[in-house]
Amino acid sequence: MLSLDLKNISVSYPGLSAPVLDIPSLSIAAGSRVAVTGASGSGKSTLINIVTGLERVRTGSIRWDKTDIVPLSERSRDRWRGTHVGLVMQDFHLFPGLSALDNILLPARLSRAVQSGDRDRAMMLLNAVGLSRAEQKIETMSRGEMQRVAIARALLRKPGVLVADEPTASLDSDSGDAVARLLIDLSVSNDSTLIVVSHDPRLTGRLDRCITLVAGRVSSDVLHREKAA
Amino acid sequence: MTRFILADLRRLWAGSLVIVLLIAFATALGVAVTLQERALRLGSARAADKFDLVIGAPGSETQLLLSAVFLQPSPLPLMPGDVLSKLSADPRVSWAAPVGFGDSFSGYPIVGTSSVLAGTLSALTEGQVFSRAGEAVIGAAVKLPLGYEVKPTHGLAELGGETHTELAYRITGRMAPTGTSWDRAILVPIQSVWSLHGMGAHEHGEEEHAQDGAHQGEHAEGAAPGHDDGDDHEHAHIDPAAPLDEAWTAASPGLPAILVKPKTIADAYKLRQEYRGNGTLAVFPGEVLTNLYATLGDAKRVLSAVAIGAQVLVAAAVLLVTVIHIGQRRRQIGALRAFGAPQTAVLLIVWLELFLLVAVGILLGFAIGYGAARILSGLFSGESGVLLPVGFAREDLASALAITLFAAGLALVPALLAYRQSPAAALRA
Ligand SMILES: Nc1ncnc2c1ncn2[C@@H]1O[C@H](COP(=O)(O)OP(=O)(O)O)[C@@H](O)[C@H]1O
Ligand SMILES: [Mg+2]
Repeated sequence: MLSLDLKNISVSYPGLSAPVLDIPSLSIAAGSRVAVTGASGSGKSTLINIVTGLERVRTGSIRWDKTDIVPLSERSRDRWRGTHVGLVMQDFHLFPGLSALDNILLPARLSRAVQSGDRDRAMMLLNAVGLSRAEQKIETMSRGEMQRVAIARALLRKPGVLVADEPTASLDSDSGDAVARLLIDLSVSNDSTLIVVSHDPRLTGRLDRCITLVAGRVSSDVLHREKAA
Repeated sequence: MTRFILADLRRLWAGSLVIVLLIAFATALGVAVTLQERALRLGSARAADKFDLVIGAPGSETQLLLSAVFLQPSPLPLMPGDVLSKLSADPRVSWAAPVGFGDSFSGYPIVGTSSVLAGTLSALTEGQVFSRAGEAVIGAAVKLPLGYEVKPTHGLAELGGETHTELAYRITGRMAPTGTSWDRAILVPIQSVWSLHGMGAHEHGEEEHAQDGAHQGEHAEGAAPGHDDGDDHEHAHIDPAAPLDEAWTAASPGLPAILVKPKTIADAYKLRQEYRGNGTLAVFPGEVLTNLYATLGDAKRVLSAVAIGAQVLVAAAVLLVTVIHIGQRRRQIGALRAFGAPQTAVLLIVWLELFLLVAVGILLGFAIGYGAARILSGLFSGESGVLLPVGFAREDLASALAITLFAAGLALVPALLAYRQSPAAALRA
């Protein structure tokens, strides 16, 4: 489980008058489950990209536990993300031509970080997301199934934080429901902090905390006392 | 990793195939030109190697070489008959053999010569050297059986030459392959050639026949003096059992060429010196070939330029395909990075995939180029009898390595370009 501490983060693009993201300070406790909402273009994806190191900032600090990723080089950030962050994106980014199992194992294999139990763990995760055909080629799966494979992949290396950017936006409501439940359940059982960008009330409503962005700024930050199932 | 690369190549098989074929084509072109040129050079040099010194009447050295060594029909001027007897008596000469042309049989040139040449050019694999006027020895590539009766056609049959009825040669021997044009030749006693063309040694001394070997062109039209004179020796039956007469005298008929084997290299140079001028022209085949290559060199340069042009075009095409390829893969590379694949792995994947395609293309290109050169050489050998040895040399390995290294460097470019943007930007692509 990782905690996040943001300080003085500001992202601007040339040609835009206002920064697309401007956050003087933001903290997320280890093990909490946080929703990020806001209108389209309000900076949600930018925030996710910044905190996962997919996009680089020059100023401020992004501290995950003790590690500030701002000064890290591209390569170190890639490596850090590989070991600490489980990513789930709106459009899956799975690799066609490979089986579900191979997709789950690929990032670990490429990092030469495969451990002896990883294959069993991948099978266990596949089971946990409700898939039984480990050798099924990814391109033959339904979108809901693909997103479930993506969740299994994100969790393989026991990441300290699970980050999802609109994971249910491109799914039908039943699949979206299943994916939402899986994200929450599996982040709990795998001891991961969870950060989810979503407009989906079925998902945001079940989380501990909801941060709303408007034009790159945090406009509301609500804590729900009762924890979701 | 390998599974990922293979899956990727399978997914993009059409584009991959195009890249491989483009590269194979460009490589094949260059390889074929290089191999073919080398084969031609080696093959002709080897074919000419058998003959140390060629003496003919003054005229074109190249034509003398082409006729006497490569047996290409062309009208050669004649030199006086006494040259042969003088050479035969020369102590510096190991042997001197006359050659006379003019007839052919089903596409094979019939060459009049002496039994010495027929015996020395190459060992006989079957039978024996001719010992009578009506006997013949054939080269290894002549597809006729021993004992076969060869009825000489004047000139080339396809030019409408008439068939001699006065004499048929019986094949008595077959030579081992020499890799020269002589493999396609039918060797007969020169005296028979003279007789057939009305130039019997006994019958004329000073009579100037603007003749023999020379005359396919004119005779094909049936307008040659030697033939239509109605001379009493013409068309008379020639006794095939007549013994060989190889006592060359000053009264022997004129000859288009004489092949000479000098005893030593020094003798060769002296003889060449002596027989240049005074109605004769002595040449070293190797030397003439070298001059010929200088001319051919220009042709090769043109071919090479064409090949290089094609290669540059293909390189550009490959580069373009690569750029498109990398553009299409930005998302994939972004995803690989996003999910934690280290830079080395990403570089290796992108590089290996491209390099694999290029390497397969180059390999295929070498195979195709080699095959093409073999086919071309085969066609050429069938036509001329000159064996063209198609083979790779050490320098080909070097150039293959150079191309491969260059490709390896080139394949690294897109791999490095992949790191020019953040994974987030790549994912958005
Ligand atoms: N590379 C970029 N260049 C310019 N503007 C950008 C770039 N990336 C994002 N933006 C802008 O930043 C704003 C926030 O985008 P984003 O974080 O993707 O919003 P969302 O909340 O919909 O995920 C948008 O207005 C978008 O146009
Ligand atoms: Mg977004």
